[in-house]
Amino acid sequence: MPSLTLKLDRLEKLVGKELKIDDLEYDLQWIGLDVDDVNKEENEIKIEYDPNRPDYSSPEGIARSLKGYYELEIGLPEFQINEGTEKINVDPKVRDIRPFVVGAIVRNIDLDEDQIGTLMNIQESLHWALGRDRKKVAIGIHDYDQVKGPYIYTTVKPDGVKFRPLHMEAYEMTPKEILEEHEMGIRYAHLLKDAEEYPIIYDAEGKVVSLPPIINGVHTTVTDKTKNLLLDLTGTDFNAVNYSLNIIASTFADMGAKLETIDVIYDDKPDEILKVPDFSPQTMQVHLDYINSYLGLKLSALEIIKCLKKVRLDASKTKDKNILNVKIPAYRCDAVMHEVDIVEEVAIGYGYQNLTPVVKEGGFGKYHPAEVFANKSRSIMIGAGCLEMVNSTLSSQKDYENLGLKFNEKEQIVLLNPVSEKFNTTRANLLIGLMKNLAFNRSAEKPFRLFEVGDILLIDKNRDVGARRELHLSAITLSESSDFSEIKSLLDHYFRTLGLLDKIDIKPISHPTFVEGRTGEIYYGKKKIGQIGEIYPQVILNFGLNYPIAAFEINLMPFFKDHEE
Amino acid sequence: MVCINQKITIKTEHYQILQKLKKIKKPVEARELSEKLKIPYEKLMSGAIFSLEQIGLAKFQEEELEVITLTKEAKNYLDSGLPERQIYDVLAKNDRKEVKLLDFSKEIEEQLNFPKRLFFVGISKMKKNKWIMSSKAMGYEQIFINNESPEKTEEEQVLDLFKDSNSYSLLEIPKKLQQAVNSIYNRKLVTKDKKILRLVELTPNGKKITEKELQLIDEEINLISSEMLKDGSWKEKLPNLKSYEVNALGPNMAAGKYHPLTVIINEVREVFHSMGFEEIKGPIVEEAFFNFDCLYQPQDHPAREMQDTFYLKNPAEGKLPKKKVVEIIKKTHENGGNTGSTGWGYEWSEEIAKKILLRTHTTATTIRRLSHITKKSKFPMKVFCVDRVFRNESEDRTHLAQFMQIDGIVIGENLSLSDLIGQLVEFYKRMGFEKVVTRPGFFPYTEPSMEVSVYSKKLGAWLEMGGSGIFRPEVTYAWGVKDPVRVLAWGLGLERLAQIKLKLGDIRDLYQSPIKWLREVSY
Repeated sequence: MPSLTLKLDRLEKLVGKELKIDDLEYDLQWIGLDVDDVNKEENEIKIEYDPNRPDYSSPEGIARSLKGYYELEIGLPEFQINEGTEKINVDPKVRDIRPFVVGAIVRNIDLDEDQIGTLMNIQESLHWALGRDRKKVAIGIHDYDQVKGPYIYTTVKPDGVKFRPLHMEAYEMTPKEILEEHEMGIRYAHLLKDAEEYPIIYDAEGKVVSLPPIINGVHTTVTDKTKNLLLDLTGTDFNAVNYSLNIIASTFADMGAKLETIDVIYDDKPDEILKVPDFSPQTMQVHLDYINSYLGLKLSALEIIKCLKKVRLDASKTKDKNILNVKIPAYRCDAVMHEVDIVEEVAIGYGYQNLTPVVKEGGFGKYHPAEVFANKSRSIMIGAGCLEMVNSTLSSQKDYENLGLKFNEKEQIVLLNPVSEKFNTTRANLLIGLMKNLAFNRSAEKPFRLFEVGDILLIDKNRDVGARRELHLSAITLSESSDFSEIKSLLDHYFRTLGLLDKIDIKPISHPTFVEGRTGEIYYGKKKIGQIGEIYPQVILNFGLNYPIAAFEINLMPFFKDHEE
Repeated sequence: MVCINQKITIKTEHYQILQKLKKIKKPVEARELSEKLKIPYEKLMSGAIFSLEQIGLAKFQEEELEVITLTKEAKNYLDSGLPERQIYDVLAKNDRKEVKLLDFSKEIEEQLNFPKRLFFVGISKMKKNKWIMSSKAMGYEQIFINNESPEKTEEEQVLDLFKDSNSYSLLEIPKKLQQAVNSIYNRKLVTKDKKILRLVELTPNGKKITEKELQLIDEEINLISSEMLKDGSWKEKLPNLKSYEVNALGPNMAAGKYHPLTVIINEVREVFHSMGFEEIKGPIVEEAFFNFDCLYQPQDHPAREMQDTFYLKNPAEGKLPKKKVVEIIKKTHENGGNTGSTGWGYEWSEEIAKKILLRTHTTATTIRRLSHITKKSKFPMKVFCVDRVFRNESEDRTHLAQFMQIDGIVIGENLSLSDLIGQLVEFYKRMGFEKVVTRPGFFPYTEPSMEVSVYSKKLGAWLEMGGSGIFRPEVTYAWGVKDPVRVLAWGLGLERLAQIKLKLGDIRDLYQSPIKWLREVSY
């Protein structure tokens, strides 16, 4: 989860209230933040916020919610914005590659170090959460006094222009060169992979403002002398681009800067002027009975309105007593999908801590047949003095080879993207795990009698998912004198206790894991269910062991009626 | 503990050894003891010492010790003193003011039979100890006494210790003499060896026990045998039965035992069953469709990326369920369909939904249960799933690539957030956590969502246990589960519980199964 460090003094200024660090630690959880670390010496709290709340990526955004929580300021936050004169003219050619652009002018900024840090955090948070690593949204921040409007958002051929990009300002590069040579170009080139022309923003004098979503031109670099900013946000999803603008612009407003709108005009639709940023609230209708039923409460319209105001939304009654009109701030991207989103807002405004738990009884429990049989098998094996093991489902090709088995990629489950060689497949038998247990514990006090009951995974073309699970039991013995008769008496004990011994037959066969003449396949009636035998010496050595070992493994599926969802 | 009311039987010859040990007082090395007592080592250990230990009067322990032993050369100095002392005595005896070093060396060679090397070692030590001074004013070296009555040096004090015993463990040498041990070691007066010492000593009880509390017998027996029981001789033999220290640990045994994870899973299972829940199971190898799409995770969601999820190369692609359902899920993602939602507003792809993976949460199985709900289904329906899930992570002390997840859901009419909190409070109470707090949280498939923390008395701390919430309509509508029927859901990681219950440092131990730990672990 993304995180942010809050400085107490700065937060106090924003909230307009003296805050105590201990109280704050408690209070923050009720507005949906996780406290990660409290530094009382530095008066700082490190918090984590959910990725659906990028408006929490700044202390300004958090302060807005806290003011509501403390009831210092409730309802929709207000932001001053002046009508500006700047324009972005959009060439319809961008529709094929990166169709949307918005922006704003930010005047009279006077940012301290903390605020610059905040801006970088917001930008990063938006690029990641809403922007999907710049695919859906890319943000450019420029020194407004270095450019001249109106601006043109258009496309350019890979070698159609040369400019000095940020971070490699020594010489002019074409977009193609940037994608091939510039660090940011290499990182984000995949976003322009199939494009014949690249999106680009020019100012009125033809200077490159930015090459979204890659890099800005160097001459618009923001420095500590910068007084006024031009923001450009481009992307493939209008909502994501617009929310990002609203989140960043509202933060500037809370920092004390003056905002001005920009007109976005597509060349082929000169009459449709999009004026941004637009802080008009989003609206939704909600039903009182729906909210109350969802929360298990009986709130009146006024009480619900109060809850919503506390979380910085607003609502008003309508002619229909059961319906409220809800207003949601323009920077909230997470609360407008469905009526349930407003239900949650009411719950937070009401306070989760104020809800009374309701316990309804009823229902009959039901055991799962596989687990019943697994537990029965475990108790039989434990009664025979075996220690239970629980091993990982993840396995490696090498494990199979150590057992003397051939690993065939077409017949085995294979991971596409393993983290390491250690896990590149899954187990198709439990014996792999038990042999590894012996190897891991080679210095522990002997003798060992181990077993595991668990699921293995097999390719199964008849299943929709192409694989199935199978419940197995495997047991293994290691001592100075472990042999076939020892393991056979364990197997006999198991089936005798189940009352099935007379249905079990062992047929001699050769198997690469076991010693010939001391191994056989286990049959339950006519069905082959497993293998038993003394482990082949080379296999013992493959696992770094040097004691005789005997083992069996059986499929338990024939012994109970399985049920899978 | 020794029983006071009843006399402890002890063989007379063992009692005599007890008496001797009382005199020695400090721990004594077993071999040394056998030499002293003139009893063969094996007999002493398996007889007297073993018996005394069994009745709790003596104990022996093995220690790896660094032992210093006097060399042959040093033994010669035990009575006459170190070379420097012997030389000094010669010098002092004749009350000479000064001597010429070379002449003196010859004198010493004759008188004490010291070779030249030893003489010069002695002289240099004497200088170091400031017993003598030297001068070369005359063109040759002269020495004269500087200290009329030199005290014993630390090296000499160490040597003196060896008058009582031929070897010592380093631990027995007083701290202030440790430095001196090193210097006499450098002088090759002692050797250092690593030795396993079997030290015998009396227990506090053994030290204070008196003859009155003991019953001395000549013959002792270990067991009332079947023979004795049959022929009636047990009556006369009973007084000779050896007493045991009944509070001592028995020998280790290789017992059969449940793995702690199984025990904890079964506890969780019982809690669910006792609350009227049915256990369900589902595929581990799962389709992205059930794992993500049905849970309303947009297809470009970061959690679906390769670095978070194990996708499979074989099988790589699955079959989607019936067209109708797929169509609903597609519309739900794209524009909300009939769920009353706006949807995510993107073009949903079947190809991405068909990808096969190792399920990242048991909620994939919960969703499969929703798919089986029909008009005839009875509510409330309470089901749970405890099973393996996978995340594409590197493993360390607190992270596993494979772990167990617990998921509980209740499906019913008009269920509310207050009902969910009620279920959580009841569930965690039965799990042994009296205090439960729910806070706002976020999960893509629940709304409202809650984070759950519980108070652990054992750790004296609040612990984040997992998440919970009410399934979004975008999740349930595809399966005909529509308002006012709602689905309450919560989940937690089992390993988190296990870490608390077992006080486990390294979470990987759960799946590496160290046998020593498994044999000793309590649950």
